[in-house]
Formats: sequence, C-alpha cells, structure tokens
Amino acid sequence: MDWHLLGLSFITVFLSELGDKSQLAAIALSGRSNSPRAVFFGAAGALLLTSLLGALAGGAVAELLPTRLLKAIAAVGFAILAARLLLFNNEPSADSEQTP
Amino acid sequence: MKLDSAPLGISGISQTEIELQPKDSTDFNSTPAIALPLQPVVADSPQKQQSALIVFGTTFVTIFLAEIGDKTQLSTLLMSAESHSPWVVFIGSAAALITTSLLGVLLGSWIAGRLSPKTVEKSAGVMLLVISLMLFWDIFTSH
Repeated sequence: MDWHLLGLSFITVFLSELGDKSQLAAIALSGRSNSPRAVFFGAAGALLLTSLLGALAGGAVAELLPTRLLKAIAAVGFAILAARLLLFNNEPSADSEQTP
Repeated sequence: MKLDSAPLGISGISQTEIELQPKDSTDFNSTPAIALPLQPVVADSPQKQQSALIVFGTTFVTIFLAEIGDKTQLSTLLMSAESHSPWVVFIGSAAALITTSLLGVLLGSWIAGRLSPKTVEKSAGVMLLVISLMLFWDIFTSH
C-alpha cells in the first residue's frame, strides 16, 4: 500500500470537496429532511460511484458520458427541489415536521 | 365515548381492556377503542421508510449527476492515471468523500435543530437554488 499516495488523494479530494456543492447539498437536504441518515447514504454513495468511475475509467469518463447534459439535469433537479421548498411551502409535505 | 378516550395513552387503554375483560364479550365497542391507537403506529412505519427511500434516491441521483465530470472526479482520474494504482487513489478519495458528506449531514442536522422548521426550509431552498445556479454556471463556463 502506497501510504503517500493514499494520503495525497485523501487530502486533495477532502480539500476540493470541502464547501463544494455536494456538501452544501448534503447540508441543505439533511436540514429539511427527517432522515439525515438517508441523505448521508445517498450523498456518500453517489460520490463513491463518481470517484470509482473517475479512478477506473480514467479520462474516458468525460468522453463516454455527456457530462454537460447530466449536469444540466442535476441543475434542473436542484432547482425543482428548491422551488418545492420555497414556493409550495404551505402544502404539508410528507417529510415536514410541522404538519398538524 | 370510547373513541374520545382512545388517545389518552397506552396505560389508559390497557386499563380499560383489563376492566372490560371480565364482562361479557357482547361489549364489542372495546375492540375499536384498542385498535384505534395502534393504527397510526402501523401506518407510520412504511410511510416513513418510503420517504427515507425517496430522500435517498433524490440525494443519490442529483449529487451523482452533479459530480460527474466535476473537478473532484477529474483530480481523482488524474491522480490514478499518473500513479498507475487506481485502487489506492480510490480508497483515499472514497474516505475523503465519506468524511465530507458525513460532515455536511451532521452540520445540516445540527443547524436544523437550532432553527425553526420554517427558517430551515427557506434556507435549504435558497441553498439548493444556489447549487443549481452554480451548476448552470459550470455548464456555461466550461466550453
């Protein structure tokens, strides 16, 4: 085991992810949800999968997948989540705590 | 009358049940009174599980799509290409990603515990909107 490389990859990824959008998403989603555990497993699982793809496929990922399209879908998804919270807040949603 | 007394609590219900037992079984009204408080408990569990599954699914899909081709993934693949040992790079970055998501979730729940639900929903909505704008910015600045 190359401990130097292990530490290097840990520190690089840790610093680049700290305060990045996926961590902000984890903060936002866990704050409004009743099941932070599900948010943790969802976020960690998604990140592990992207990093597995990155490590194994190497440079092929950007060529194989339409990354801009996928990002656009994700952006729309986050916008829908935001709109649901900001605009339709009066409806008692399934996972909001203040429902009488 | 029996329906009104139902939500008093489990201790009260078991008391009435014990009191009713020596009587004749003609008093069938006692059955709904006992069954009623159990109903929400039974109905709550699958609903909560389903909502957790939905939360998991939404989180997974949105973050996965957002992180594909992102700088973390690019640095991971650069490191693994340079070092020729992708598994070590993967283990290192996996540990880092688990740590950052755990920190994010812990921070989120901690903040949510100190604010009113209304404020939490508002600020979570604003944050998600900012993330969406960040993603759109990424799309338009990367050519």
